[in-house]
Amino acid sequence: MGRMVAVHSYKGGTGKTLLSINLAAILAKRGKKVCLFDLDFRAPSLATILKVGNPEHWMNDYLNGTCEVDKVLIDFSDRVNSKNRLFVAPANPATEAIRDMSAKDRKWEMRALGRLLALRNSLLTENAFDYLVFDTSPGLQYSSINAIVSADLVIVATTLDRSDVDGTRRMLRELYDLFEKKTEIVLNKVLDASSQSSKEGVQTKVKDVYQVPLLGVIPCFCDILKAEGNIIFVQDKPDHPFTKILGEMAKEIDQMQQKPALTVQQSC
Amino acid sequence: MEKKAVAAQDLSGKKPVLILEKIKENLERLNEKIEVMIELQKHGRKDLEQTIADAPLDVMTLLSMPDHLRKTAMAVCRLGRATADEIAQQTHRARAVESAYVNQLVIMGHMKKERKGRKAYFYVDRESQE
Repeated sequence: MGRMVAVHSYKGGTGKTLLSINLAAILAKRGKKVCLFDLDFRAPSLATILKVGNPEHWMNDYLNGTCEVDKVLIDFSDRVNSKNRLFVAPANPATEAIRDMSAKDRKWEMRALGRLLALRNSLLTENAFDYLVFDTSPGLQYSSINAIVSADLVIVATTLDRSDVDGTRRMLRELYDLFEKKTEIVLNKVLDASSQSSKEGVQTKVKDVYQVPLLGVIPCFCDILKAEGNIIFVQDKPDHPFTKILGEMAKEIDQMQQKPALTVQQSC
Repeated sequence: MEKKAVAAQDLSGKKPVLILEKIKENLERLNEKIEVMIELQKHGRKDLEQTIADAPLDVMTLLSMPDHLRKTAMAVCRLGRATADEIAQQTHRARAVESAYVNQLVIMGHMKKERKGRKAYFYVDRESQE
């Protein structure tokens, strides 16, 4: 049985989308069948980054109940040279769509949660997907909490910025813990993370502060900024250190799935 | 003479079994009600202050729930449609405890309950809450 993975953060700009795209791509390159969902309806970015054009259906439509999920999925396997392995469900970036999604009420959000939960059956069980990766909005947004509640694993992207550390720590205690979610931290944009002593120092610090496992530490790479969101790093720069770090993360996530002791709570 | 024969046939046939099953079913329902009453007393009915007929079970509601009810609600959401037994298997708590909690969620309007034969199924009715 496949798993749902939500990539979330307390603050914006921590690298959720970069992490989501590259994690989905590298999992697909490792032979897994993956679907990447844009659940950041306030600031959709997958449509632009992955240049999906103007599809007939968006993730918004699926959550609105006006189409089934298979109409939303776009096959991106060619982009990572792995046949029938990577699919994308983009959110509509039009201003009107963003406004519409921001005005939804509690009952709509409750039904949206139901539709996200239904993906377990329609994609993981019936279509043999191995991973559904949710790219979410930062902070405590309805759509993000829906994704967290649906997910088996929550990857929290964070930086060493003080307000981010404090907010992330609070969120771990007051959100993920309440839903009994398996959570892993990815520390991003770390300066001077190359030396072994520095790496160990960061690892100890993260474990002390957050009390949850550290999935990976990503140094601050100028190459990522220079790319301006135009490339899928793990595909286009296979020898880059970022790709290697993502490879290790994907391997660890895969191993979690194989260990029965880490069978995580599914969702509500 | 004929009446006696019919009675004997009933006793040796299915009727007594059916009666016993009915009694068992009624006892189970009674037990569930007592469990709910015990739970309500334990928690001082605080959880029912905001009771409405159909209260949407959205994530914010889940977040604001007491821990013991959230755990039950999460298990039902995960299972889709479940009996108290199935919920108990997920939460690793006693069936009687889960029965009380899930019935409390029904009273609060967050869940629906449907009987099929002797079994009671619990679920979140997302579609009808327009």
